[in-house]
Amino acid sequence: MSTITIALPSKGRIKEDTAAVFERAGLAISAVGNDRSYRGRIEGIDGVEIAYLSASEIARELASGAVDFGVTGEDLVREGMAGADGRVEFCARLGFGQADVVVAVPEIWLDVETMADLGDVAADFRARHGRRLAIATKYWRLTQQFFSSQHGIQLYRIVESLGATEGAPAAGQADIIVDITSTGSTLRANHLKILSDGVILKSEACLVRARKPAHEQDLRIARIVEAVRAAL
Amino acid sequence: MPLIDMPDFATDLLAEFAARRTERVNTPVIQPAEPFLDMAGEDLRRRIFLTESETGANLCLRPEFTIPVCLRHIETATGTPKRYSYLGEVFRQRREGSHEFYQAGIEDLGDKDIASSDARAIGDATGILKALLPGRKLALTLGDQAVFEAVVNALGLPFGWQRRLIHAFGDMTHLEALLERLARPQPVTGLDPQIAELIASDNEADLVARIDRTMQETGYSTNASRSPTEIARRLKEMLELAETRLDGTALLLLREFLTLQLPLAEAPAALAGFADAAGLKLGAAVSRFDARLAALANAGADLSAMTYRAAFGRPLDYYTGLVFEVTEAGSSAVLAGGGRFDRLLTLLGAKEHIPAVGFSLWLDRIEGARAKQ
Repeated sequence: MSTITIALPSKGRIKEDTAAVFERAGLAISAVGNDRSYRGRIEGIDGVEIAYLSASEIARELASGAVDFGVTGEDLVREGMAGADGRVEFCARLGFGQADVVVAVPEIWLDVETMADLGDVAADFRARHGRRLAIATKYWRLTQQFFSSQHGIQLYRIVESLGATEGAPAAGQADIIVDITSTGSTLRANHLKILSDGVILKSEACLVRARKPAHEQDLRIARIVEAVRAAL
Repeated sequence: MPLIDMPDFATDLLAEFAARRTERVNTPVIQPAEPFLDMAGEDLRRRIFLTESETGANLCLRPEFTIPVCLRHIETATGTPKRYSYLGEVFRQRREGSHEFYQAGIEDLGDKDIASSDARAIGDATGILKALLPGRKLALTLGDQAVFEAVVNALGLPFGWQRRLIHAFGDMTHLEALLERLARPQPVTGLDPQIAELIASDNEADLVARIDRTMQETGYSTNASRSPTEIARRLKEMLELAETRLDGTALLLLREFLTLQLPLAEAPAALAGFADAAGLKLGAAVSRFDARLAALANAGADLSAMTYRAAFGRPLDYYTGLVFEVTEAGSSAVLAGGGRFDRLLTLLGAKEHIPAVGFSLWLDRIEGARAKQ
């Protein structure tokens, strides 16, 4: 019987919320060694190991199939791999870590309320400003899918932003942003507004399973999924 | 360049290029990525192989030849007209087939005679394919962006709507979504009443001043890309576009046009008939279409193997007129694809307007077709 690895967030609110869900699900986690250890096990099920990782690493490990389950944001999973639904299963939405990935433009762009408006501005941008419309984001894949496939907008450039993305338009690094927001207050504070049809993804923390053939025969897999679902 | 690993017909191909009086050029395999992403858009990013230089410059493995050949032409400033040919490896992330494969083609830069250079590109592509696939029946599909632009223009839509439709040409899903919106306009709601009043009273100066003031107050002015005037003017356009409705008859006409698919030789009569019945003046676009057809016939092209499909286009903003694809009859594998890209060279930095037409040959698919013989 091979070991099942569950990757859980290693710090913060999301770590505590995850632990609470697993507790309610009857899958109490005990640390291996001391409290600050990054390994754990589930009491009462043999061969199940907990690995504490950062949220973005969890998405990566799920993509490579190095772990069997992970708890992390849907946004990170969908950003981290192409064709996510074919490679992983979103087993349960856990009801915390809610955040929307949105397209936000300067509030003062009174003439841009929808993606179609933005498409018009992007189409004209090079002729007016000598360069393509620049979007600051860490969500390359989600931005491309949303702009190209859903809205037919091709004429823009992505500027990689690893933090404080909301500040990019005012700082002149980009014209607009694609970023995550939970309450919208940071966007408002930076005089940005969300387009009316600009919500790319309503994300939250999910229990995610890497699709592996071996899982089909393994009763522990079904047991973990059912227990977590029952606890919600 | 040694012909190692190249398709076994590479020598024949190079002889064809030489006989067609082209100048063979080579371009580095490692290219700056910016021109490709700038021209084709960010969507290309996941389909090419990107890397970074030690100094942080974005580089990629050559995903195609047209842009490098045009850039090289601009850099060497050798004047036009020029007929370039190329043969070499290109690199793309593909779901099927190898990530590295050979492509060859011809780019015709600076010939001012549009009809005859269009016809020559088609003649070169089909002529070379016939030489490489003797005895095979080929099929060519032809589209023309300029004819679609003329139809949209003749319908009398506001400029902004024309541009939206033209941008979506070649992408039926997006085009359909736009037509839906034209059938059911959604007027803008929730506009600040004071702003709405400034627009209604056509008081642009006050509107601009107001936008400018807000920009100053929010500290956005320093690095603002779009000026208060640009925003004010497009604000008016946005309201107009949101309310634009295309009546049922016009929508039906546009849809009818997009379903046109017929033997190329019959296309001029069909287009004239369509324009007549619709009461649209398609003018210059249709006479250019006819001139191209005449040039093809003069050059002895086999028109019976050619189909005109009105909805066939490429949603890239540097394509301007002719697009074509050649397959084996009954197959969907594109062996050669080409078109006219009169806007590309100026977008890439050329000082003067250089009309351009060209095509590329998919050597791996040609090799596959030859193997079936």
